[in-house]
Amino acid sequence: MPTVVQIENLRKEFGKVCALDGVSFRIEAGEWIAIMGPSGSGKTTLINILGGLDTPTSGAAIVDGVDVGRLDESGLTRFRAEKIGFVFQQFHLVPYLTALENVMLAQYFHSTTDEKEAQQALERVGLGDRIEHLPTQLSGGEQQRVAVARALINHPKLILADEPTGNLDEANEKIVLDLLRELHAEGRTILMVTHASSIGALADRRIDFSHGRLVTKVSPAGSAPAPGSKT
Amino acid sequence: MFWRLVFQLLRGSRARLTVAILALVSGAAVISGLLNLDFGVEYQLTQQFRTLGANIVIAPRAAPSLPESGPSNPALMNEAELSQVQANIPPRTPYSPFTYVVARAEGNPVVAVGAWLDQLQALNPTWKMEGNWVASRDDSAACLIGRNASRQLHLATGSALRVQYLNQTAECRVSGILDAGAADDNQVFMNLRALQSLAGLGGKVSLVQLSVNGGPAAAATAASQLTNALPEVEVRPIREVTDAEGHLLGRIRLLIVSMIVLILILTALCVLATMAALAMERRADVGLMKALGGSIGRIAGIFIAEVGVLGALGGIIGAALGAGLSYWMGLRVFEAAIPPRWEVFPITVLTMTVVAMAGALPLRALGAVKPASILRGE
Repeated sequence: MPTVVQIENLRKEFGKVCALDGVSFRIEAGEWIAIMGPSGSGKTTLINILGGLDTPTSGAAIVDGVDVGRLDESGLTRFRAEKIGFVFQQFHLVPYLTALENVMLAQYFHSTTDEKEAQQALERVGLGDRIEHLPTQLSGGEQQRVAVARALINHPKLILADEPTGNLDEANEKIVLDLLRELHAEGRTILMVTHASSIGALADRRIDFSHGRLVTKVSPAGSAPAPGSKT
Repeated sequence: MFWRLVFQLLRGSRARLTVAILALVSGAAVISGLLNLDFGVEYQLTQQFRTLGANIVIAPRAAPSLPESGPSNPALMNEAELSQVQANIPPRTPYSPFTYVVARAEGNPVVAVGAWLDQLQALNPTWKMEGNWVASRDDSAACLIGRNASRQLHLATGSALRVQYLNQTAECRVSGILDAGAADDNQVFMNLRALQSLAGLGGKVSLVQLSVNGGPAAAATAASQLTNALPEVEVRPIREVTDAEGHLLGRIRLLIVSMIVLILILTALCVLATMAALAMERRADVGLMKALGGSIGRIAGIFIAEVGVLGALGGIIGAALGAGLSYWMGLRVFEAAIPPRWEVFPITVLTMTVVAMAGALPLRALGAVKPASILRGE
């Protein structure tokens, strides 16, 4: 399996605060990784750097052969459009665009729009009958499914999901996790931040963070390496 | 997708944008109205000033040009010298040669004026007429008489008037009694040929009066052309009229331009305030668009198009309203409607589009939005 993400001694400082302190690990193509840890442990900072929303202070974050830290503003914009699919806890849909238009918006910034393809993406997440609805006319679970369709529409190399079920009830959580499971089965590479161990257990591997450091790397089978180790 | 996004942006923010569109429509309506007024004011003002009478006089060199001094003026011009007048003035310009003599009518001395009687109404629109104007300059049987002269001579419309000059006599029928409120009220106006024949001044005229339309510039141009074409005579613009017209026109234009500039600034400020508030509301959307891979150029393009559509829409509606406004202002100020000018329409729409875009400067702040901060909810 080729490596999709390679992180080498990654460090990110916000003034005197060190959000990431020498983190290193790899993610192979098709893997589903769960990032876990308490608030302020550096999970979101890692996601932001891998998604090209932030740049590292030092070290390397290489996604699909691209060192994110070396990209300028324009390069980061193209990187986000072409390599990354985001799913946020707060859904982050544009409120005055319909479900279909929210998906097409990602197409528009990537290259050209294809309404039929966007419609198929929504049908795939079970929203074929909701394409003309505005976000306010959709439930939380439906909004998150629109976000998943939007994340998939440009066939990204890496799907970054930050607490994708954090705002959902149990029924909708199951729907979204089933979607992620399907995507994983199709061979998509997924990096998911979650607080819930039960959700983390669905991933191939679990990476725990504490105070900006990677503390454990646990496989679903439970073979836990020593705390504080770097891989 | 681009225009779909623009349309949805406009729809999504319609409450806030209503303020901006109202400002743009109001500004455009007033500007369009003022521009129509500006284009029409010269014509209307010229019409108003033309009621004051002639604005150019052609007279023999070194001779006084005022009509009332005509009879005592020994210098006369040959009509043949004036053959170039018609070719050097705008078409349909009212003008007439005048010949003055002191004659006797019904035994009383009276100033007899020979003129093209059909031109008198156009040359003197403010003259009041009891009876009828004379429609043909060839009608030697009809004459006009001033109000004071008619009282002195006890003549009414339809009366026969006998005019004597030395041992010659001419007769005409009084077609109308004019009230000019000036020295003309003491005079008798006869057919030019008839008077020349009576006085033995065939082919001789005292002066020519012209009323050139088109404002001071047109009068100056006509005067200049006539001066070149008629080197033997003196061509004089009547400064009191042309200067007053020029000054008034200049002041009205200055006022209109000042108001347009002021309204443009106020409209831009109103749009600016609305857009500043909108920029704050749009931060989250812009942060998300950036996170999805939207370049600042493409995102800014959407917002600029939105503002441009807003400006154009405001300009179109406002220009239409402004046409009605100028029509109404024309009726109120000049008692004549000012028809809308087609060129005002694109000027207004373009101006409002530019003003709207200038007012959208606060949206530049969206370029500095950090998507990571927005997505964290900061």
